[in-house]
Parts: sequence; structure tokens; C-alpha cells
Amino acid sequence: MAIEKMALVNIIGRFEDLDRVLEKCCESGCFHMEPAFKNEQNSEVRLLNEKNPYGVPMKAFSSLASEMDIELTESPDDRYINYSAEDFMQLADSMDDEIEEKSRLKKDAAREVSELEGAVLQIDHLKGLNSDFQKIFSLKHTACRVGRLPADNLAKLQYYDQTFFFVPFETTRDFCWGMYFCADGDKELVDSIFRSMFFERIRIPDYVSGNTDEALAKLGRSIDEKKAEIERLEKDISELAKKHSDVIKKAYTAAKKKFDIFELHRKVGAVKEKFYIKGFIPKKKEESFKKLFEDSSEVEVVLLPPDADAYCTPPSVLKNSWFTRPFGMLVEMYGLPKYGGFNPTAFVALTYTLLFGIMFGDLGQGLLLFLGGFFVSKKLDKRAGGMVSRVGLSSMVFGTLYGSFFGYEELLDPVFESIGIGFLPLKVFKQTSFILITAVGIGIAMILISMILNIYVGFKEGNIEKAVFGSNGIAGLVLYASVCVGVVCTMLLKIKVMSAPFVILLIVIPVICVFCRVPFAAAVKYKQWRLSEDEEDMTVGNFIVENFFEMFEYALSYVSNTMSFLRVGGFVLSHAGMMMVVMTLMDMVSTAGKPAVLVIGNLFVMAMEGMIVAIQIIRLEFYEMFSRFYEGDGKAFEPIAVSFDSRTDI
Amino acid sequence: MLEGYSTNATSAKIRAKYAQLFTIDNYRELAALRTIPEACEYLARSSRFSGVLAEVDPNTVHRGYLEELLMKENFETYIRLCRFQGLDKEPFFSFLIKRNEIECILSVINRINSSLETAYLSDMPGYLVRYLDDRYTEISTAQTFEELVEKLRGTAYYKLLRKLPVREDGKADYTECELRLRTQYYQDMLEQVEKHYSGSTEAELRDLILKDIDCRNIINAYRMKAYFGYPPEVIKKQSLQFYGIGKKAMERLYEAEDAAEMMEMINRTVYGKGSPDTDNIELEINSVKIRRLRSQLASSTNAPVAMFTFVQLCDIDVSNLIRIIEGIRYGVETAVIESQLVTL
Repeated sequence: MAIEKMALVNIIGRFEDLDRVLEKCCESGCFHMEPAFKNEQNSEVRLLNEKNPYGVPMKAFSSLASEMDIELTESPDDRYINYSAEDFMQLADSMDDEIEEKSRLKKDAAREVSELEGAVLQIDHLKGLNSDFQKIFSLKHTACRVGRLPADNLAKLQYYDQTFFFVPFETTRDFCWGMYFCADGDKELVDSIFRSMFFERIRIPDYVSGNTDEALAKLGRSIDEKKAEIERLEKDISELAKKHSDVIKKAYTAAKKKFDIFELHRKVGAVKEKFYIKGFIPKKKEESFKKLFEDSSEVEVVLLPPDADAYCTPPSVLKNSWFTRPFGMLVEMYGLPKYGGFNPTAFVALTYTLLFGIMFGDLGQGLLLFLGGFFVSKKLDKRAGGMVSRVGLSSMVFGTLYGSFFGYEELLDPVFESIGIGFLPLKVFKQTSFILITAVGIGIAMILISMILNIYVGFKEGNIEKAVFGSNGIAGLVLYASVCVGVVCTMLLKIKVMSAPFVILLIVIPVICVFCRVPFAAAVKYKQWRLSEDEEDMTVGNFIVENFFEMFEYALSYVSNTMSFLRVGGFVLSHAGMMMVVMTLMDMVSTAGKPAVLVIGNLFVMAMEGMIVAIQIIRLEFYEMFSRFYEGDGKAFEPIAVSFDSRTDI
Repeated sequence: MLEGYSTNATSAKIRAKYAQLFTIDNYRELAALRTIPEACEYLARSSRFSGVLAEVDPNTVHRGYLEELLMKENFETYIRLCRFQGLDKEPFFSFLIKRNEIECILSVINRINSSLETAYLSDMPGYLVRYLDDRYTEISTAQTFEELVEKLRGTAYYKLLRKLPVREDGKADYTECELRLRTQYYQDMLEQVEKHYSGSTEAELRDLILKDIDCRNIINAYRMKAYFGYPPEVIKKQSLQFYGIGKKAMERLYEAEDAAEMMEMINRTVYGKGSPDTDNIELEINSVKIRRLRSQLASSTNAPVAMFTFVQLCDIDVSNLIRIIEGIRYGVETAVIESQLVTL
């Protein structure tokens, strides 16, 4: 349960081998690439900054696929391994030539249909015009335009003194359909006036004659003809699609792979005539990774210790046991530990499972959670499912202790009686104080464990301030533990422990240590007296004021963090309370309705309470415990890979 | 006056409407489109413009009309919000109507000065005809400045423009007219704020109005300095005599050696701090302004403050959309369009 050991890999080779090497790195599935140029300042490494040439062919194949209605799926084929971007483009162009003509004809026909349908729609608004269109348009001295005018602009017409008149036919919310007439000599001026008012002119096709009804019939016939033509063209295009579908899918897959690999060039460095790749692999994969390049004599793979390059931080991979593995997602959510640091997954797994069981104790519901988690881990998400099944088991254990089974609090009583355990099951509402005090006790224990972990991590890092003098170091641990012992003995057990030596040795001295943690740590580390670590100007006054407030904050955090665990007890009560509501509701309905209320009530409580408890425990883990010993400042291990995606967002 | 009843519902409604404004991602999606019909369809799908674009045919719509419809939606949203709790009866809430009246008058003056006979009527947005007094449409027939002033008799603008010197050709100084009209506009607003509001509403409104004036003054002053090389005295004279950051601070900006120095000085004021690094003054000032307005809208519970802020945010939103539509129309690259948007 630590962090996976890593090895730094340097790969050097000739540029002609670059793509092949990157492809092998992707295939290995365990190569975390680092920018090669992030190196010493005077290094000769320059970065490769080339435009990815595979973006254009990828788009071309994608647009061909969408034109022919082909769904792009991953179809690997070795035929295109040696294709360059130009080769891909040539292939795309050759197919495009075939489809272009038909596609253009289809578009033209569709546009014509759209225009004709538009005309139908427009002429429909002119119903009531009983004169022949051709007669109106053939007037010698009068110009006439048909169309629609934004209704807002109708009011403006009266302010124009030009000689025209507008005849409205139909007015909707936004537009007024109609026609305007003006003298033939004025038509340019009047047209420009109407254009400025956004008059949308309808061009009645020349062949349309007669009144509106006759015109509509003619247009309908034309639309049918064009639609038939479109159908014919679509059939031709689908034939072409059948012919080219396979090639397009395969070529797109190959181009996408080349595109992704080319994208990795951004992290590749160039040293004279050679490329330089830098990255990390898990140490256990060293041999298999090296083997990948055995057949390439010109490619040199150098394995180094992970800290060999000061400019690269190794990534962290959590190494967990089968029980703790699913809880790694919580640690990742907070932030991974840095390489070589402390992996808190086991601690999280134990505390999370324990707290969930306490807060959500119900044998029946726990069983459902366990089964649900098992199903999710097999079918949907292994880690999330694994977590749910583990907390489900814990919930079952605590449910047994509470004697709770789907809200029936007395169902297990005879079992405990027959075994002869008198103090169980725990009756939640009869032992409220015990539950709340136990919750705070669990909190104190967890905070103390967090502090011990902090001391361990502090010593491991060689950080004396953190391990010894800090508020979560030995001084803080002694102080917090002593205060807790003092309070418990004095207030609960009525034992007088707060004697002068106890207070001086276990409270006052630790307080002084925490107050002066920086100078004390500096004295140990540098053998000299300093008020601050970085030798900045810190006056004694400033030091006192600053640390006074910090001490105040520490004291508050000790109290608030401890009290925060009261929620553990609170949720034990709330869970039992909610189930009591379900039971009361069940008593209120008829016998036939009881099972439904029981099932819905249990599901509701499980969903709502389960989520709240899960979130509350995450809060306890992150704020009350992690904040004492853990810094999630590690880097994630992200092995490079080529992934298929039918979208071309480039 | 307002203390008698609550306008919290209007503030809440404004915040809900604010959520319909376009986000940076929406702008990016729109800017990535290639044609006006595509853009029109995209806008018609948005909850903000679906109503106003319902009957529009994306394939035939004129770009100018599309832009006018976006502005119409802004204006009608303002009208609807004002009527929601009868706030349109409060004098302050007529600020947008008054702003449009002034724009109409200035448009006619401009038309008279450039001898374009019918340009005003075509430029006047159709949706305004319904909401403005008839005389603002009738002024379109004025052929000279004197005729225009005569047609404005009975309005507050009559007195303002009556005494302006008129040249022999019947034209008047446009800049002077604009200065007088806008001075009166802001003066009225400040007086109304003082008269009708108190406490935080008064303080917030006053601050907002003065900052709006400052932004206008800074943009105009920068343009005068950068493009026309006007001396500080002329800039001072042609600026509105209200100051949010103080007269001295503003005059120091006017007195900058050149445009570059002025921009540097602006970047040290509240109007330029944290602005994107461009040489487009409007973008710089409005980018900071939009951030300020957003935070003002989120924090204030006063309906007049929320309304005044929201109207400005809507204006910026529509001006961004218009910039994108123009960019699409003229085939400007997506990245260039995005760089011209006020989005900070």
C-alpha cells in the first residue's frame, strides 16, 4: 500500500523512426510522456513545433461520411500504415469526385424544393387575391411587388410622401403579407424604401399563372417532381456509400491514429538530427518496455532512476490491496500523493467503511447496497461498485448491532436473546447520549491517528517543524490528547487529573512548542535562532501577534474538528428516525398498501440518506483528517494512448 | 416612493432573465458557424430569442433585420420587466425610452447634416414606433434643424436645442447637440435618483450612472486623442461634466501625452484594471464594465439597480452577437471574431 516505483525513460533515435517509436509507446499502455524540452536552460534540445498534417484528411473523411450518412466506427487496417497525409488526401479527393456531382445535384434540387415550398407558404398568405398573377405583373405603367413586411414597420408607411400604396392580405404577430404598387418610373426608389424596411419579396415563378388557388396547385406539382428527383439521387448516393463505406471507416481510423500520434510531437525534443523523448514507466514494466524496441537498432532506450532529471516530477500510481483499491478514487478526488509520499488509501478505506457502517447501520439495506455494489462493479464501474459493496457489508455489521432490518428495530431481538447477549441490540433512541459521546470519541481517535500519521510523514520528509513542533506534530498530539483526557476525566469520570505538573508538562509546554514551532525547528535544523524560516524581517512583535492568532485558530480547529464528528451520531439517530417515519406511514395505510409503503420508504431512505452519509463522510475525511497530514500535490500517471473518436474537433 | 411596496419580485425576475444571456461558450458556438441562416437558426433555438425569431425564415432574413430583432428583444424585455410590477409608472424606469428618444433626435440631426431625406425613417427601429410619442416619428419629415426643433415643441428637448446656433444652410453642430442632450439625460437621471430613492439604492444607482458616464467619456476621449489628435482642452469641452472617479483624475487622463500613455493610465484606473491586453478601447473598458455589472447584479436586491445593470448587460450581449453576425457575414475568422467580444 504505497506508491508504485517508477523509472525515468529517455528515448533517442532518428527522426524517420519517430512515429513508429511513439506508436510503440502508445501500444505499451504504460508510458507517461513528459515534455522533452523542459530541461536545463542551456540545453540543446529544441521543440518540434509542426502543424499536424492529418487534421485536414481526417475532416475530409468525416465530411464524406456525413454526406453519405456513414456512421464512423473504429476499423483498423494495416493497409494504411505507411500512408502520408497527402496519400490520405488523395484518397479522400478521389471519392469526393465521385460523390460531388450527385451531392451537388441533390443540394440544388433540395434548394429548389425549399424555394418552391417557400413560395407555396407565401402564396398561401395571399389568399383572397382573385386576380391572375400574370395580369398584375404584366401591367405596363405600374410596378407591383409581393412579399411580407415586418409588422412593426407598417406604421412607418404613412410618413413617406412617395407615391405608392401597400395592400395588406394577412397580418401575423411579426409580419404583414401583402403587395405594393407604384408608378413604374418610381419603382427603384420605392423598392429601396421597402428594402430598408426589410420587406421580403416573394418571387413568383414565371410559370405560375392564374389566381392563388391555381398557382398553389401548379407549385404542388413542381414540388412533387423535384422530390422524386431527390429520392433518385439519394439512392445513387447510398449505392456509393455502400461501395466506399469500408474504405472511409478504415482510412479515417488510420488518419485519426496518425493524427493522435502526431499530436505527441509537441512533447518531443530535437537534438541535432535526432529526436529525444522523455517519460516515466512503472519500474516493474522496464523489461517488457525495453523489449518493444529490441528490433530497432537505431533507437536507444535509456532507463534511469526516477529522480535523475531534476526538471521532471515522477507521476504517482497508487499501489493498493484488493480491499482498499476502490477507495483510491476518493484519494484521487482530493489529489494524488507526490511520488515517494504517503499513500492514505488504506486509512481512508478503513475509516470510510467504519463510519458508513455506523451512520447507515441496517442489515437489510446494507445487504441491498452490497448486492447493488456487486452488480455495479461487474457491469458498470468497478471502483464505484467495489466501494458500495464494501460499505454495504459494514452497514450490515452495524445493522446487526443495532438490530435493524429494513426499519424493523425488534426483528433481531429474539436472536440476541437466544445467544444470550443482553446488551445488544443497541436501541438507538434509548441510548442517545451513549451514541453521541461514542461518536465524539471516535472523532478524537481519528484525529489522533491523523496526527500520528502526520508525525510519521513529517519524519519521513525530514520536516522537524511538521513532525515535532507543529499543531499536528508531537507537541500538538500531546496537547490535544492531554486536553481530551483532562476533559473526559474531569467532566465524565469525575477524576481529578488536572494537577499542576499535568497542566505544565502536557499542556503548557506543548502550547509553547506549537507557538514557537518555527524558531524551535530552525534551531534544530540550522543550529541558530531565527523567527522565520526564510530569514525575512520578522520582528518579535509581529511574531507574537501572528502566532497568537494562529494559536487561536488551532484551538478553534481542535474543538470544531472534534465536534464535527457529532454528525456521526446524528446520522445514526436520523437514519433510525426516518425509518420510524416509514413504519408510522405503513401503519396508516391499508394492509394492501403496506408492502408498497415499506418498499418505497426503504428505497427513499436508502437513496437520500445513503447519499448524504456518503457525502458527509467524504467531508470528514477531507476536512477533519486529510487536512492534518496529507497534501495531495502529486501528479497523475497518464499513459499516452491513441483513442478513436468519430468527432473531429480540431 | 418605492418604500411603500416591495419590488423584490422584479429583482428576482431580472436575475432569472439574466440566466438567459449568452455565455462565452454560446458565443464560441455561434462564431464557429459559417452562414447567417445557420446563425439565425442557432439564435432562434435559444430561450432568449426564440420568441422574437419564431416567424423569421433563416434562409431569407436580412442581416440588418436580424440585428434589429435582437435589439427589439432587449427593448421588449425591458418593457415587460417594467410592467411586471407597474414600475413603468416610476420616472426613473423610463431611462431606456429617453435614451431612445435622444438617439432618434440625433439620428435626424445627422440626417439633416448629411442631406439624406429618408434615411432616418429607415434607420429608426420599427419596434420603437409603438413605444415612443408620435412626434419622434414625425420629426422624420423635418428638412432643417429649425423645423426639427419646432416639431419638438412641448418636449424637454425643445428648450435644450432652441438656443443652439444654426448655420445658414439650416444645419447645427452635431457634437454640441449630442453633448447637450446626453448631459440633460444624465442630469435628469441623477436628479430622479436623488429625489425618489435613498440609502443603498440611491448610492448604488448614483455610482452606476457616474461609472457609465465615465466609461463613455473615457472611450470618447481616447478616440479623440488617438484618431483625431485633439488637445486636452477640446476633449474636456466635448466631454460630459460628471465624474465618477473625480474631475482631477479624469482630466489627468485627458492630459495624457498620447493615446498609448492614456491607455496605460486607464489600465491603472478601476475602468481598466484587469482588462484584456488589446488596443481596442471599447473592448478594454467594456470587459471590465461587464465584470462590474455582473457582480452588481448578483449582489444588489434593489429593482432599479438590477434593472439599470441588466439593461447594460443586455446591450453588451446583443452588441457581441451583432459583432459575431457581422463577422460571419464578412467571413472573418472565428478566432478574430472571438477576440473582439466583450466576455471577461
